[in-house]
Amino acid sequence: MTLLELEGVTASYGPVQVLDGVSLSVPDNGAVGILGANGAGKTTTLRAISGTVKTGGRITFDGKDIRGLRPDQVAALGIAHVPEGRGTLGDLTVRENLRVGAYLRKDSKAIEQDIDYCLDLFPNLQERIRSNASALSGGEQQMLAVGRAIMSKPRLLLLDEASLGLAPSTAKNVYDAIRRLRVESGIAMVVVEQNANLAFTLVDSATVLEVGRNVLTGTSAELKGMDEIRRAYLGG
Amino acid sequence: MASASSVSSAPASSAPSAPPFRQRPWVRWALPLLLLVVLVVAPLVLSEGVNETLARIGVFAVAVLGLNVVMGYTGQVSLGQIFFLGVGAYVTAYGVQNDWNIVGVFALACLIPAVAGLLVALAAARLGGLAIAMVTIALPIVGVPLAKRLSEFTGGSQGLSARFAETPEWTGLYDDQWQLYVVLVIGGLVFVLTRALVRGKYGRAFAIVRGNENVASSMGISPYRYKVLAFTIASLIGGVSGFLYMLVIQYTSPETMSFGHSIELLAAMVIGGAGSIVGSLLGGAYYVLIPELTNQVDPNLTSLLQGAILLVVLFLLPGGLASLPRALTRGRRRTRVGRGPAATPSTPSSTTGSATAEPAPTERQGHA
Amino acid sequence: MNKQFRSRTARGIAVASALALTLTACGRGDEGGGGGSRGGSASPGITDDSVTLGITTPLSGATAGPGTCTVAGVKAYFGAKNAEGGVEFGDGKTRTVEIEALDDAYDPQQAKANYDQLKDDVFAMTAGLGTPTNRAWREAAIADEVPQVLVMTGDPLFSDPEESPWQLGFVPIYQNEGEAMGELLASSTGEHKVAILSQNDDFGEGYVEGFKSAIEGSDNIEIVNELTYEATDTSVDAQITELASSGADVFFNAMSVTPLMISALQKAQQVNWTPSWFLPSNTSSPGAILEPGGAAAYPGIYSVAFSKTPAAPAFADNEDVQTYLAALKEHGDYPDPPAFPHCQWSWMVGATLEQAFAEMTEPTRENFMEALRSIEGFEAPLMLPDTSVSTGEDGQPAVSTVVVQKYNGKGYDTVETFE
Repeated sequence: MTLLELEGVTASYGPVQVLDGVSLSVPDNGAVGILGANGAGKTTTLRAISGTVKTGGRITFDGKDIRGLRPDQVAALGIAHVPEGRGTLGDLTVRENLRVGAYLRKDSKAIEQDIDYCLDLFPNLQERIRSNASALSGGEQQMLAVGRAIMSKPRLLLLDEASLGLAPSTAKNVYDAIRRLRVESGIAMVVVEQNANLAFTLVDSATVLEVGRNVLTGTSAELKGMDEIRRAYLGG
Repeated sequence: MASASSVSSAPASSAPSAPPFRQRPWVRWALPLLLLVVLVVAPLVLSEGVNETLARIGVFAVAVLGLNVVMGYTGQVSLGQIFFLGVGAYVTAYGVQNDWNIVGVFALACLIPAVAGLLVALAAARLGGLAIAMVTIALPIVGVPLAKRLSEFTGGSQGLSARFAETPEWTGLYDDQWQLYVVLVIGGLVFVLTRALVRGKYGRAFAIVRGNENVASSMGISPYRYKVLAFTIASLIGGVSGFLYMLVIQYTSPETMSFGHSIELLAAMVIGGAGSIVGSLLGGAYYVLIPELTNQVDPNLTSLLQGAILLVVLFLLPGGLASLPRALTRGRRRTRVGRGPAATPSTPSSTTGSATAEPAPTERQGHA
Repeated sequence: MNKQFRSRTARGIAVASALALTLTACGRGDEGGGGGSRGGSASPGITDDSVTLGITTPLSGATAGPGTCTVAGVKAYFGAKNAEGGVEFGDGKTRTVEIEALDDAYDPQQAKANYDQLKDDVFAMTAGLGTPTNRAWREAAIADEVPQVLVMTGDPLFSDPEESPWQLGFVPIYQNEGEAMGELLASSTGEHKVAILSQNDDFGEGYVEGFKSAIEGSDNIEIVNELTYEATDTSVDAQITELASSGADVFFNAMSVTPLMISALQKAQQVNWTPSWFLPSNTSSPGAILEPGGAAAYPGIYSVAFSKTPAAPAFADNEDVQTYLAALKEHGDYPDPPAFPHCQWSWMVGATLEQAFAEMTEPTRENFMEALRSIEGFEAPLMLPDTSVSTGEDGQPAVSTVVVQKYNGKGYDTVETFE
């Protein structure tokens, strides 16, 4: 079953057309990568899904047309967006941030269990549980952002540049944890990533964008090592 | 007052494992009870002048509380809170002059500002950040000439007087005592309800919207809806403060809602402590007491002195007066830690370093 | 919440209530709650050798200029008297007069707060400026039986002894000014067509009411057109143009907004309408309004006044003016030449209060009000000839007589007839 389907999605910021007919298909429990150079439209594709940018084309989630919904309506359907730059609530502690993620949930007992699960997934957060989010390191903030997204019990996780600005070892830790999450929870994912090798440790298939269009789509195995991939990441 | 002495002796002797004073079970009900007794008894024993001042503090504490809901808790700059106080006051005055039932007048004094606030918010909350501030600036600026022009309802520039809530005979109370009791009951209720609101689910949503609107959206919280909600509640509370204003001051005119007072309310909120219930109370006290204080010092220099006090308080306590206990604990801890290792001057930097890092988690205890 | 908690709370509340009742019974029984100053015993704020007066007035904010003057004049007046030993009262005692002034920043709420703070310490409240700031505590002053007298507001409410038994306004009400202008015009021998423009509030209405009552029944005066504007309007060009077409030779303009008055003076010239103007006293300043408005183009600019202007050359050598300026500097904390007439008015308030004190036979507020209301035809220092303080007339402030003056290109001269 296909969980998320994008067909010919377009989007523009003012006069600048950023997406020019992007298509994407994410099966249940699947993880799909979006690769491409800066400005190719990767982040905008995620924003098109989460409803934070006006779009054309067709976006269906679980068989329902979700194009044009407000971000909070999209979120309520079970799509959690971990935006680039993390977006944690700096004034709140780590635990409060995690609770925020569960805002729409009413099962308070399960919430506590899920917080424990997040802390098990990201042991660094356990150590900083009472710190303000603003006091965390970049890697910890990224973990917290993912953790908060998990707390909403999403069916689909949108991950934007989870490795951005992190030391290679930290980035690997983050991806290891997300992979474990994927295996254990079966949450479907759309992963935007500059670092293709890191992305391929997580996703089953991927698509490469260039100036707002798909130029190449295939399984991870097919894409690994292809010239176009190298080209895309060199910005050529 | 026995409790107070035990507080002061506690830090020196208590073991670190003992539960914090405020969380001991008997303290948790004894303190509110003590507060209640004090509030019941105080109006009876205090002098008329003190009661009148306390009642005025209550009026403006409620107004500041409303501002806090939209600004302190939800992070939306509102420069128009005084407008809703003014509308509440005018509605009350008009109703009283026409001999309407006082309960109905109170309901209208809440409802009409709330509806006005709702309509403004529906339009303004679509605009981001500073645009809301601009729209709210317009409220008092439009309000003053509007109040002058609608003289049929507002008495024009001569304003409206209304003495109501005559002290019932059976109470045997003086006017100032009765007024203070009414302020305490209505204001207290508003404070208790608002406290429940901001500590509950809505309050969490407000905090998320304030922290990061994108995060709010991604959590399924519509920033727009919660901004409108916060603004409407703030306007409603502003209306309540307007009702109390008429009860205590008994007169309103277009000057009541002049823009300058909106800025003063804002200053009072920041001084008291943004996003704090106690801070709202302190803000109300600041609003009322500082003009009296500066008048005592030199009536010709009031505005200058008020500006100076504002700067000094914000410089010393950026978090407002409500952050004073926290700042004191931090200071005390720092000096205590500083004193200990003073004998071994070889390692002061490492000790202070750990000491400053530690308070951060404990500060949060009450908040979580 | 467990059961035990609830019962404890209940017991606590019961104890508190009992305590409360006991305290009500014995609480403040002897204080008398404000008003109790009956009989011959002295009222608050007065002893055998001093009396304290309270003022709440704007000392900061937009109206601080005139507000400061309202304190300075009366302070200077009694400062000079105190330096000579004090003021003689009707009961044979000589008392010094202390002034306690507080800033209300033209905020009614603050004015009420100031009043609450002062009422138990002062004998009477006086001289404060502003209609809303005086109205804010008028009813409280009545309930507390505290005199609120010789206050600077043109609001007639303060001069109605039925409505305001403990009040008396000092400055002429708007009607007084309009009336004086109307009388001058009615006494003219010629035929006149009048155009009226007025501010759509109590200010404009008061002027027009006074003016119309004075010209009523005069066959030589005809009102040919009458328009209004809002105090918030930024232009009255349309009204001026319409009034110009009426062919009126007299223009009664009850306008309180300075920039509008200037633009009105300019606009009428532009449309070649050059009537004689009647202007309210507060928007007829030669320097601030008439010169920029180009008033010299008109055959006559008339306004009203009751006090001498110290700056005018005609009064430079006047003894009253000299004494006043010296006292203002020495005792009034006002070193500069007075910028607002309120300084002079406040000085007259001092003189009027002294008149009342001299008639007081008992040191009580009631007796003071009686004495104050019995002043007849008192020519206070700095008053123009033909004006006086009379407090006995129902519905009239202490000063209800004004003289009409005509602009002479630099200042004003009192005129007897309309030319």
